[in-house]
Amino acid sequence: MSEREIVVESIVKKYPEVTAVDHVSFKVKAGEIFGFLGPNGAGKSTLVSILTTLRLPSAGRASVGGYDVVTQANEVRRIAGVALQEIGLDPLMRSMELLTIQGQLFGASRNDARRRAEELLDLVRLRDAADRRVGKYSGGMRRRLDLALALVHNPQVLFLDEPTTGLDPASRRDVWTEVRRLNRDLGMTIFLTTQYLEEADELADRIAIIDQGKLVAEGTPGDLKARVGGESINLVFADGSAAEKAAQRLDDMAERIQRDREMVRLYMPGAAGAVASVVRRLEDTQLEPLTLTLSQPTLDDVFLQVTGQRFAKEQPARSAV
Amino acid sequence: MEAVHSSQIMTHSRKPEGRLALPHQITILTWRNLVTIARTPEALLPPIAISIFFLVIYKSTLGKAAGFLPELSGGSYIGFILPLSIVSASLAGAGVAAQNLVRDVSNGYFDKLLLTPVSRTALLLAPILAGAVILGVQAAIVIAVGFLLGLDPATGLPGVLAVLALAVLLGTGFAGFTVSAALGSGSAAATQGASFVFFPLTFLTASFVPLDLLDGWLKTAARLNPITYVLEAMRALLNDGWDMSALAQGIAATLILAVAMYALAFYALRVRTRRA
Repeated sequence: MSEREIVVESIVKKYPEVTAVDHVSFKVKAGEIFGFLGPNGAGKSTLVSILTTLRLPSAGRASVGGYDVVTQANEVRRIAGVALQEIGLDPLMRSMELLTIQGQLFGASRNDARRRAEELLDLVRLRDAADRRVGKYSGGMRRRLDLALALVHNPQVLFLDEPTTGLDPASRRDVWTEVRRLNRDLGMTIFLTTQYLEEADELADRIAIIDQGKLVAEGTPGDLKARVGGESINLVFADGSAAEKAAQRLDDMAERIQRDREMVRLYMPGAAGAVASVVRRLEDTQLEPLTLTLSQPTLDDVFLQVTGQRFAKEQPARSAV
Repeated sequence: MEAVHSSQIMTHSRKPEGRLALPHQITILTWRNLVTIARTPEALLPPIAISIFFLVIYKSTLGKAAGFLPELSGGSYIGFILPLSIVSASLAGAGVAAQNLVRDVSNGYFDKLLLTPVSRTALLLAPILAGAVILGVQAAIVIAVGFLLGLDPATGLPGVLAVLALAVLLGTGFAGFTVSAALGSGSAAATQGASFVFFPLTFLTASFVPLDLLDGWLKTAARLNPITYVLEAMRALLNDGWDMSALAQGIAATLILAVAMYALAFYALRVRTRRA
């Protein structure tokens, strides 16, 4: 049936002042990493709290792993792992203790819960800190422990609400690696919210973009970008006349062609797929480009197109991932 | 987004494996609370120290003047004043339950527990039970100090145990109130403030003299205060013997208080975990 799937149908969450989530519908397939992208305050965390049973929707239906989030909340809690944006750890406890208690509350025997706790401490590389109080952990260690706590009961679906907000770039990269591994090795469906464009781009198989409570776009990162257009093949030739000849020769292949001295830019959807035929066409004419590069539109371009504004004023430095 | 006309949501009817019985949940969570209490001894020492301090002060300043109390004929002043210290120790101890809970609420661990299939009742009872253990120990320490100050209970060891049981019952009931404050406010300061209700509760009673010697508004307040009946029952046990009517009134007073406070606590829990 709908094992490991998330189905969201026209979910609404109204507060007296605002409609935080406004008729949002989408489906997350079993085993995929789904990125839920939106600026601060767009409604991401509200939706996560509904899907993880902490809040009730004002209208609409949603199911996680085939269980209704309203009427079968306890069943959803059993199969869903959740790491909320606000890390909830008792600083007086040790990580081994917290993991064991969590495992027992999910129904494991004390011994099984201990064994699982040890596995998870290895997984998130906290074995050495297992018997230290959580209050003494660094931010990155807490985040990793919180992730481990979400995994004690081998969830079918994992919710990660802004898992890298506030982390330094190295820890962020660690979380990405972990998320990919959980998805690949355990086939876990992962629902991840983020306010970082490059995080969604990097991790997610598919993305939904939410803005002011409304879903404004959905698809694979590639599809979304292709829909915006602006994908191009850039060729640099030895001199301007070679470039001009090449531009004439390739004119019919591109939607739009632009020549600037020794550089030729071919705008076309599906640019990557067209590289081979461009190269073949040029081989016929003995015009060999010095360099060939592809330019992709970014998710920021997608966001600009669907909302009419840039994603966020402050983005972390775009690292060359 | 195309509109969804017919719902695609199909749900299972069977339930996932692994259910943990309520008593087991409560045991695990109570143990967790006791562990954290043991790791914050600084929260335990002040209430017990204050109770013992006052006990010694009452005994040494009022003890010699107590001859004027006609009711005390035959009884000892320590047997009269010790219940006041026991009651204040158990009410202050009840604050520990709330302090634990409010810490969990404010650091987010409470939400983490809400994400597990644990019963909401267990989330409420665990800190209260842990508080009961702590205030039982505190009341026992105060009683031990009472023995050092010359306590000679009329009903012997069984009577002392009955006094202890009354103290635990009273404290656990009062914990219902402090826990409500913790759930309602989510703030440590507000919870601490609410715990100070134990001051009027303890002193608007027949604190220093028997009820019959009180007058006017203080007598009315003391008559309405359930603590008065708990004090009278304890005093009877320590000074007079098995006075079943006083004992029954004391037990009834703690039970009424407990039922009212637990109703309040469950309401506060409902509001806190309301998903709306």
